[in-house]
Amino acid sequence: MNNTPVYIVDGLRTPFCKMGTDLAASDAVDLARTAAAALLARTGLDPALIDEIIFGCVGQPIDAVNLSRVIALRAGVPAHVPAMTVHRNCASGFESLTTAADRIAAGRGDIYLVGGTESMSHYPLLYNDGAVKKFTHLAKAKTPLQKLAAFARFRPRDFSPRISLHLGLTDPVCGLNMGQTAENLARDFLISRDAQDAFALRSHQRATAARDRLADEITPAYPRGTGAAVTLDNGVRENQTPDALAKLRPFFDRHGGTVTAGNASQVTDGGCALLVMSEAGLRRTGITPLGRLVGHAYAGCEPSRMGLGPVHAIARAEQSTGLKLADAELIELNEAFAVQVLACQAAARSADYAKKHFGRETPLGEIPDEILNVNGGAVALGHPVGATGARLVLTALKELPRRRARRALVTLCIGGGQGGALWLEAAS
Amino acid sequence: MNIQLHIDADHVATLTFDRAGSTANVFDRPTLEELDGHLAALESHAGLRGVVFISAKDKIFIAGADLHAFVSSPDPDALAGIIDLGHRVFTRLSRLPVPTVAAIHGACLGGGCELALACDWRVATDGKATKIGLPETQLGILPAWGGSVRLPRLIGLPAALGLILTGKQLAAVPARKVGLVDDIAHPEYLADAARALLARGKRPPPSFRPLHLPLIRDLVAAKARRDVLAKTHGHYPAPLKALEVCTAALGQPVDMALALEKAAFLELIRTPECASLLNIFFQQDRAKKLSVPAGTARPVRKVAVVGAGVMGAGIAQWTSARGLPVVLRDVAPDALAKGLRTIETVYREAAKRRVFTPAEATAGMDRITPAHAPVPLGDVDLVVEAAVEKLDAKRAIFADLERRVRADTVLATNTSALSIDAIAQNLAHPGRVIGLHFFNPVHRMQLVEIVRGPRTDDDTVATTLAFAHRLGKLPVIVKDSPGFLVNRVLLPGLVEAVRLVAAGHSVAAIDQALLDFGLPMGPLRLADEVGLDVALHVANDLAARLPHLPGPDPLLAKMVADGHLGKKSGRGFYDHAAHQPINLGLPPPAPADYVDRIVLVQVNEAARCLAEQVAASADDLDFAMILGTGWAPFRGGPLRYADSVGLPEIVRHLEALAASDGAHFAPCDYLKTTSAFHSASSRGVASDARSTLSPP
Repeated sequence: MNNTPVYIVDGLRTPFCKMGTDLAASDAVDLARTAAAALLARTGLDPALIDEIIFGCVGQPIDAVNLSRVIALRAGVPAHVPAMTVHRNCASGFESLTTAADRIAAGRGDIYLVGGTESMSHYPLLYNDGAVKKFTHLAKAKTPLQKLAAFARFRPRDFSPRISLHLGLTDPVCGLNMGQTAENLARDFLISRDAQDAFALRSHQRATAARDRLADEITPAYPRGTGAAVTLDNGVRENQTPDALAKLRPFFDRHGGTVTAGNASQVTDGGCALLVMSEAGLRRTGITPLGRLVGHAYAGCEPSRMGLGPVHAIARAEQSTGLKLADAELIELNEAFAVQVLACQAAARSADYAKKHFGRETPLGEIPDEILNVNGGAVALGHPVGATGARLVLTALKELPRRRARRALVTLCIGGGQGGALWLEAAS
Repeated sequence: MNIQLHIDADHVATLTFDRAGSTANVFDRPTLEELDGHLAALESHAGLRGVVFISAKDKIFIAGADLHAFVSSPDPDALAGIIDLGHRVFTRLSRLPVPTVAAIHGACLGGGCELALACDWRVATDGKATKIGLPETQLGILPAWGGSVRLPRLIGLPAALGLILTGKQLAAVPARKVGLVDDIAHPEYLADAARALLARGKRPPPSFRPLHLPLIRDLVAAKARRDVLAKTHGHYPAPLKALEVCTAALGQPVDMALALEKAAFLELIRTPECASLLNIFFQQDRAKKLSVPAGTARPVRKVAVVGAGVMGAGIAQWTSARGLPVVLRDVAPDALAKGLRTIETVYREAAKRRVFTPAEATAGMDRITPAHAPVPLGDVDLVVEAAVEKLDAKRAIFADLERRVRADTVLATNTSALSIDAIAQNLAHPGRVIGLHFFNPVHRMQLVEIVRGPRTDDDTVATTLAFAHRLGKLPVIVKDSPGFLVNRVLLPGLVEAVRLVAAGHSVAAIDQALLDFGLPMGPLRLADEVGLDVALHVANDLAARLPHLPGPDPLLAKMVADGHLGKKSGRGFYDHAAHQPINLGLPPPAPADYVDRIVLVQVNEAARCLAEQVAASADDLDFAMILGTGWAPFRGGPLRYADSVGLPEIVRHLEALAASDGAHFAPCDYLKTTSAFHSASSRGVASDARSTLSPP
């Protein structure tokens, strides 16, 4: 990696709202457009100066397959500015940023509008394969009699849909859904239900305490057709209690499982936009940046234990940047599952894990609770999968100056068995 | 040279309309004669296979007759002569032995449409500029170059009446649906499509045998008559006359039918309604082309609107619909949400009426960026402030705006009452402050008052005027004085109506009298629509600043205090749930002439405005009242109405009322010393514009 500095100039996100609630009327494009247009308005940047628009989205909408282009045009970016969409599952928001960083490092441009978006409310229901065949047959039928015959072949079961949200959250290689991979970690590291619930409770408490701080990164959304202004993350339970969490039944493993809807991240709608520039870009626009992307790494791991991806990415980032866990003054580690964060902490401090997986003699180090997800995480705020990566970057960069801290590590696990880790630095 | 004839190797003739030195094609006497000459030549052209009529203009096929020809020759013989000429030329065209086709791109209205109707075939482009129709009745006349005769024969009486009596203009697709055009083509393929139609030969006349049987025909006519009367309250003779001609002409040979048409035209063109409507049309045209002698208009590429209330939202919607990006600023997300909802509703309804495609409506909404916190405005060229009507608040907003925008950004206020100069008071550059007063609902009301303050500079006026034109609005420039123009003339009538109600007169009777007079809405219903609180505020404000005006009767303040605010609270002068006027239960007073009282106080106030040069001319004033309030268009506005009654007569009435009902009726000096508001010559036309038919 060369040393071209990459600056994150500013960012905004929509509120994060539980699937089917306040933002359900907006699709993934609307959400990202809201954030992007507000960001352009707030920075006063002339959108004609942007070199490329890069957004990430996991469940890319079929009516806007290159959704970045649609976001760009609908946010008032002139037609001459190109746009591409990236996908790295839950790290798609990261990927939009690191792609721009790579472009800047390669000298291909100076100003990028990036981000991530997800409308989990809009994940479609799909016809099953049997029904699809029958529909094809029906379409080929010519005479009324043939059509009638084609119709007659349909059965009630043909209309029971495949739920794309479930399909998307299932690893087709190991055959496990994400919750089941989390249960693997609970067993591997012997992390109790109580420990997970306690972690979840803390996430809600921290997010509640951080309301005002988080408001700083939020722009209101005005979903069309509702007449409402949505200004708050609505997944945060300000009165969450240990009892309420303890009452929930395990969701993925009914018999002896530990992962519940309460100690897993929420299924959420939201969009986030970041403005990224090279040094030349900063000079041209005269805007003061929030901070700098120092380095990043992605790393693969066992798909059935995808929740440990951050540990692998942190190790790999250490190789390229020389930065160790101990260098972080602030850590955002996405809370896909409470157990998965706890497992990452355990794996990071484990010499065995370090030796077995990275061939090193010393563990990666501590992920201290005091600097970890200090404003709450996806258990409370929700995890709109494509948007989360960008949200973590934004939250961390806004938090650094508040604690007069310099360096943040932002990392998340990625379905399919990967991790991503970014090292950020506050603007000096 | 307005028409070029070209005959190609295939012996197909193309007549291209391309009026010299103009962006429009219109029919005047020389053009008709030129066409006649070409037709004569074609009649004797051996081997001719067909004729195509087409336009070389961008957005206009033929926009209609040159109306000035009508108005500048009040001599009935000359008028009859031009009707005869049109009849002769179009009949000649219709009798050409070879097939003919009108290849229509752009406005094809009035005489242009009548030319197309005389052809065998019509093909229209699907471009946005293409609109086909006969708007004559909207100008107080009727289609008189064969339109009233040929359209019913082509598409049947019911469909023809639907177009002629309303002046409706059709795009290609609906035109094809009713049979007005035979084919639709992309502009690039228009000529090819026209040739393809020629191949079909002469067109046999379509049969509407059952539909045009006398009995059914009379039923259709009776229904159409009821519809017209429901809409016009009998104030407009032209649609009724057109209905009569269209119906009667069906049963007659073409020559006789054309004679009916001509007689009706000559009758209508002499009516005062026609004179008023034509004048409004010319005034519209003048407003469209209005320019200021000094100052350079700077381009407006991005706009900010401050305040997301009804007016702010309306202005943002209209501006975004005209393709400009808009920052919509308000202090609270909830206020923005409400404004955005209003905007969405306008877009959704426009999309439903096919004004926009769904994608265009979405793009329009996307051009509006809500801002609940301050944002940089360095790229904004014009700001329209539509916040709360309080001077201190507006001054604070303008002081803040001045720090945020470029030095050359225009700062406009949509205030309907406050002084522009007072708003500009403490600014570093008061010259860029101007009033740009829209009317509610913004997407429907064409008028805007441009209010020039004493310190407003020329460039600001020029820029604002160009912006109003860009928005497709019709501007009138007025002086920075209390109430500006429209509200100042309107309000005294409203105050007078309230006074009458307080004296025990019936709400229903007052409103009905003014409806019968020709106002679009009675003054008390209007007060309910506007909101009694707003009416009270404006009336008090005007009375405070214009000493000659009486304040509103205490009844109004009492109603507001009781929470009866009109439509928005469900009760005002009407109970909106029960659809009933309220009854104060006072003893019935002696009957009074409501029109005299309410209209004459408006005339009196209009005279004062003219004396104080709030409006530059009587035409401006009448035009603004008609467009801003719907003031009886067929009467030509308050001043033209006063002229028609006679000013001495008006003065006599006012003096009598002043003696009997109150000193506020006393006629102003200007009214007493003037013989007529409009000079006799300007009562016809005062315009240099090349006017073409398109409805008001």
